[in-house]
Amino acid sequence: MSYRELPDFDRPTAESVRRTRRTSIWIIPLVILQQSTLIFRHDGDKFSQLVGAICWTVLTIAELWWLLGLPFKWMSERDQAILNDEWSRSASGDAARWGIATAALSGCAMMIARIWVRLDAGIAIYALVNSALIVAVARFWWLDRDESDEDE
Amino acid sequence: MNPTKMSERLANRLKERRTELGLTQGQLADMCLVSRKTVNTVENGVFVPSTLLALKLADALQVSVEQLFWIDR
Repeated sequence: MSYRELPDFDRPTAESVRRTRRTSIWIIPLVILQQSTLIFRHDGDKFSQLVGAICWTVLTIAELWWLLGLPFKWMSERDQAILNDEWSRSASGDAARWGIATAALSGCAMMIARIWVRLDAGIAIYALVNSALIVAVARFWWLDRDESDEDE
Repeated sequence: MNPTKMSERLANRLKERRTELGLTQGQLADMCLVSRKTVNTVENGVFVPSTLLALKLADALQVSVEQLFWIDR
């Protein structure tokens, strides 16, 4: 194991962001479940609809962070370079392809399903967007999972 | 120019050279400004690096790119 000096010890490093990214995936299914109960409660008041919208926005930002790597201006150039290195970009690209494929398959499945089932537009959008994003995030998490021990 | 065969893969002696210099994957990653995951995947042949990264790795390990990477047929 190697160590390096942390001149800005109070700032998150590339390593800490990657670690958080790996562990935070477990929160996303919980947020999706919670937001689905809020979004599809059509009789809900304005406040609960607002909470639902905020939940979805937060989830979207988290997923974009996972896939695109939002610019962390507080990070050093070194940490930004490490966080968006070749492997990360390659993993993001692969994850995006899985997400696009999932969106295409979900859309096709819904078009077939609507022959027998009456689809609600809100549920259809929710299923289409979230299935694609969840698959993309899960794929990214799998590719970017904790690396094996040194020299393995 | 011969068309690339599907059986061809990029082989490397990254680990051999790195251990010769007494460097860890983390130290090499720091020198090249990439994550240890990148060094690990390149070393294990999982990820094919760009020309830029190959040059950086060769520079950090004080060898030419040709000495570090070759096509395994």
